[in-house]
Amino acid sequence: MKLSYNWIKDYIDLEGITPGELAHALTMSGSEVDSMEDAGGDKVMEMEITSNRPDCLNMIGLAREASAVFDRDLKLPGMTLEANLVDKEIERRECVIEAADLCPFYTARVVSGVSVRACGGEIKEKLSALGMRPVNNIVDITNFCLMETGQPLHAFDLDKIKGGRVYIRKAAKGEKITTIDDVERELEEGMLVIADSSGPVAVAGVMGGKETEVTESTENILLESAYFDPLSIRRTARALGLSSDSSYRFERGVDKASVIPSSDRAASLIIAEAGGKAGLMSVSGQLEAPGKKIEFDITGAERVLGVSLQKARTVRILERLGAEVTEKKEGGLSVKVPSFREDLEREIDLVEEVARVFGYDNIPVTISRFVPSIERKNHSRRVLDRIRRSLPAFGMSEIMSYSLIGQEAAERFKSIVSGEVVLDNPLSEEHKVLTPHLLDGMLKAVSHNLNRQNTDLRLFEIGKIYSRAEGKTPFDEEETFCAAVTGEVDRGWQTDSRPADIFYLKGVVDGMLAPLKLKAEYSPSVIKGLSGAAEIKLSGEKDPIGVIAGVSPRMLKEYNIQQPVFAVQLRLRRVMEKAVLEKHYHSIPKFPFSSRDVSVLCVVDTPAGEIKKVISATGEDLIRDVRLVDIYEGDQVPEGKKSLTYSITYGLDTRTLREEEIEAVHGKIKEALQKDLGVSFR
Amino acid sequence: METVKKLEQIKKEFEEEISSCRGEKELEDIRIRYLGRKGELTSVLRSLSGLSPEEKREVGKKANIFKNEFSSRIDSLKSELEEKEEEDTPGYDITLPGTAPSEGSVHPITRVMGRISDIFVSLGFRIADGPEVESEFYNFEALNIPLDHPSRDAFDTFYVEGEYLLRSHTSNVQIHIMQEEEPPLQVIMPGRVYRPDAVDATHSFMFHQVEGLMVGEDIRFSDLKGVLSLFCKSMFGKDIKMRLRPHFFPFTEPSAEVDISCIICGGKGCRVCSGNGWLEILGAGMVNPRVFEAVGYDPGKYTGFAFGMGVERIAMLLYGIDDIRLFYENDIRFLEQFR
Repeated sequence: MKLSYNWIKDYIDLEGITPGELAHALTMSGSEVDSMEDAGGDKVMEMEITSNRPDCLNMIGLAREASAVFDRDLKLPGMTLEANLVDKEIERRECVIEAADLCPFYTARVVSGVSVRACGGEIKEKLSALGMRPVNNIVDITNFCLMETGQPLHAFDLDKIKGGRVYIRKAAKGEKITTIDDVERELEEGMLVIADSSGPVAVAGVMGGKETEVTESTENILLESAYFDPLSIRRTARALGLSSDSSYRFERGVDKASVIPSSDRAASLIIAEAGGKAGLMSVSGQLEAPGKKIEFDITGAERVLGVSLQKARTVRILERLGAEVTEKKEGGLSVKVPSFREDLEREIDLVEEVARVFGYDNIPVTISRFVPSIERKNHSRRVLDRIRRSLPAFGMSEIMSYSLIGQEAAERFKSIVSGEVVLDNPLSEEHKVLTPHLLDGMLKAVSHNLNRQNTDLRLFEIGKIYSRAEGKTPFDEEETFCAAVTGEVDRGWQTDSRPADIFYLKGVVDGMLAPLKLKAEYSPSVIKGLSGAAEIKLSGEKDPIGVIAGVSPRMLKEYNIQQPVFAVQLRLRRVMEKAVLEKHYHSIPKFPFSSRDVSVLCVVDTPAGEIKKVISATGEDLIRDVRLVDIYEGDQVPEGKKSLTYSITYGLDTRTLREEEIEAVHGKIKEALQKDLGVSFR
Repeated sequence: METVKKLEQIKKEFEEEISSCRGEKELEDIRIRYLGRKGELTSVLRSLSGLSPEEKREVGKKANIFKNEFSSRIDSLKSELEEKEEEDTPGYDITLPGTAPSEGSVHPITRVMGRISDIFVSLGFRIADGPEVESEFYNFEALNIPLDHPSRDAFDTFYVEGEYLLRSHTSNVQIHIMQEEEPPLQVIMPGRVYRPDAVDATHSFMFHQVEGLMVGEDIRFSDLKGVLSLFCKSMFGKDIKMRLRPHFFPFTEPSAEVDISCIICGGKGCRVCSGNGWLEILGAGMVNPRVFEAVGYDPGKYTGFAFGMGVERIAMLLYGIDDIRLFYENDIRFLEQFR
C-alpha cells in the first residue's frame, strides 16, 4: 500500500508538516512507513498496514489517522451524485443474488453514453504516483475511488453482458473464466462469481472477466459496488493464487456504509470525465448498519496504561478517529464506533486507539509489581545447563541442526528409531520428517567440515527427537544428546598424536554423567548403520537409553565421509529425572591409603569390566579405587592371552590398614579372580 | 703447632674453593668435604687425642670458630646462588606451544538464548518449556487468531496431521501455563519454532524465540516498557535507546513493535538499520482479554503483558553475522568463534 503526500493533502491540511514528519507520525501511531521515495514533486511512502486495519488501505483512511495525530480537521470529498446527472429513463438492470451467504449486498448502476479514452489530468497523475498503470478513464476512475475510499468497484461493458442482468452465484464445478489478465482460470465449485445468462463474467471481488471488460468501443457501462463475505473472497483468491487490490481489501472487510457513496462518487467522476448519464441504482440484499456502542472508562484505561489521560484529549482522539462520543450521566463515555472500524469491539480496543494516538512514547517507564518466581529454573533445565557447560571442557563444540530431515535419512539407524512424524505440507523432500534421531544432523556437520579440511572434530548437540506416542498428545519430544569424534584428539608436539576413538567418546559420556551422580553401563549390541555398537543403560535401569559406536563404512559413504567417525546418542529424559545436582560433603579421609598392583593374565576376549567387578565385589569396603593402568598383548604374553594391570587402592576412613590386612584382601582378590574367571598372574 | 697450621691451611683451601664456587651442587660438595662426617674439619677435631689439654682447647676453639664461619659462608653463598637461579634463563624454549587441551565452544544461539534468559531470570522470571508439535487450539485459537483470517498470513504453518502442527511461535506455551496455574506469573519461554519460509540469508524455516509473560493484578503497559527497557539496556548496552511503535498482534492489545537505536551506527543510519537508525527486535503488548477468557482467567481482575523475540536476529545483530544459514551449517571455523 502506497501513500502519496500530495494526494493526501486533498483531505487534510498539512501546512507546516513535512513528508518526513508525516511519515514519522504515521509510523509512531501504527501505520508504519517502510520507505519514502521522490516521485516528481511528490513524496510516495510505502506503507505496512496491519491486517486489522483495512480502513487504512486508502487515502481518506490515512488522512483520518493524520487528522487524529495532528489534531487537524479531516476534509471529505463530495460523495453524492447530483440529481441532474441522473436519467431516470435509463433501464435499471436487475442483479440477482443467488448466494446471499457470500454476498449480502450488491448494487449496480448503468452509466450510458460514455466515451472511453485515456484519462488525463489529476486522476492519471495520482494513480501513477501510486504506481498504478493507467488503462482508460472508466477503469482509472474505479481505481481512483478504490484508492481514495477503499471501496473496490468494477465496471462491466453493459452491452457484452448477455441477457442484460447479472447473477451473483456460486460457481459450478468446472466452470471457466478468462480474467482481464488474459489467463483462463478453472473455478472451483462454490467460488463466488458474477455471471450473466451464459456464464461467469467476474470472479466476485477478485478480478473481472476479459469478455466484459471496458474497452475503447464501450458505450454503456454497468458499475458494480458490493459487499462480499471476506472469508469467501480470501479462500477464492488463495485457491486461484490471485491477489488483487480488490480481493486484498474485501478479505479484510470493506466499509459497509461506503458501498453506495463510493458508487455515487465514481458515477459523478465518470460523467465528468467520460460524459454520459447515470441511471438509477439497483440494489439487492441488505447490510446491517454497523456502529457498535462501547462503554469506555477513562480510569480503567489509565490503569492498563499506567499514565493519566485527560478527558478532553481522550474524547478528541476518539472523535478524530470517526467515533461519536457521548458522556454518560453516571460518568464514563459511550463511544459509537464508525462503520469502517469493525475491528473495534471492546473497551480494550478503544484503550489501544487512545494509547497509540496519545503516543506510546508519552507513557512512562515503570518498574514495579514484581512477584519473582522462587524456582526460576526447574530441575530438568538445570541438568541440561550443567551438561551443556561440561562438554566444552572436554573440547567438544556444540552444533545445532535442523529438526526437519529427509525421509530416507530418518530411516537410517533403523533400530534406534520408532514412529516417524511426517509433515503434511513440507517445503521440500529434504526437510519433511521431524527427526527421530540426531545422527543425521551430526553426520552432515561432520561431512561439511571434513570436506573443508577441518579434519579433527569433536562435536555435540543437545536437541529434541520426535516420535509418535500414546498419551495425552499423539507425539513425543525428548531432549537428546548426540556427539561425534573423528580425526585426532591430540596433535601435540610432546606426545604422539592420538586418534579419536570410541573410548574418548565413552570418556565424554562418563565425564558428562559423573557430576550428575550417574553412571552408565555399556554392553555390545547390533544396530543398523553402526559398527561395533554398544547400548547404554544408566546403572540400575532396565531399558537402554542410547548407543555408542563407530559409524559403519556403508553410512560413512552415504555422508561422503572418508575417515572413521565415532558417535554416541543418549536420550536424556531418564538422565534428567535421575540426575542429582545437590552436593553433599563427605569428610576427607584422615588415614593414609596404600596401593597394590595386580597383573592379570587372561584370554583375549575376557571383558575388563568383569575383572573389575570381581575385584570390587571381593575387596568390598576396603577398596577405595580400582584403576586399569596397562593392557599388554605380545612378546611376553602367550598367544591368545592379554595382560591387564590394575592398581588397587586400599584404605579405611576410621584407621590406617595394617600391612597384613592389605596382603590378606589382595590375596583374596587374586584367588577370586582365579576361581571366577580362570585367570593367572604375571 | 702442626695442627693449628693444618687448620689454617684448611681455611685457606676453603676460601679458595668457595670463592670459585658457581653452583649449588659444587657448594654441597664443599660442604661435605669440609663439614661432613668425614670432612676435613671433623677429622682434625677427631685427631686431637695426642695433644696436650691446652693445645686441645686452643685447636678445638679455633676449629669450632672455623666450623661456624664455614657454615655461615656456605649458607650465605647458598641463598645467593638460589636467588641468582631465579634470574637464570630457563633450560627450555618457552616459545613452544602449550599443551593443555583447548576448550570446545557453545553454539551462538545457545549463548544468546542463555544471555536473554539470564537477564529475565535476574528480574525474577521463571523459564518454562512447551511442545513444538502443537494443536491449532494452542497455536492459534486460544491466542485469538481465527483459523481462516488475514491475521493468520503472518503465521504460515507446517501441518503434521489433522489439527496438529509445528508451532509457529512460542506463544503456545503461554496458554499451557495459564491453563495450569493461577497468577501472579512471571515466565519466559525459550524454544524452537517453524514457519514454511524458503531458506535464504535472512529466512529460515526453523528458528528460535524467547517469549515472555507477566500476569497479575494491575500490571500496566508502563511496566512492560520498564521490563523491556531493562532488558534492552542489559543486552545491548546502557546507552541504547528504545521505542515502541503501535502494531497489531491478535493476542495482545495494545500491541507494539519494539525498536532499539541501531547498535552498529548508534542511530545515525547505516546499511544494517536501512538508514533509519532503528532496529526492530521484538514484539510485545498487553495480553488481550480474549486470551484470558480462553484460559479461564477473569479479565476484569487480571492484566498482563507478553513479548516475543527472535534469537537468530538478535545473535546476528550482536555478533555481526550476515547469513542465518551459518547457524545450521555447523562449520567449526564459525562455531569456534563463540568459545
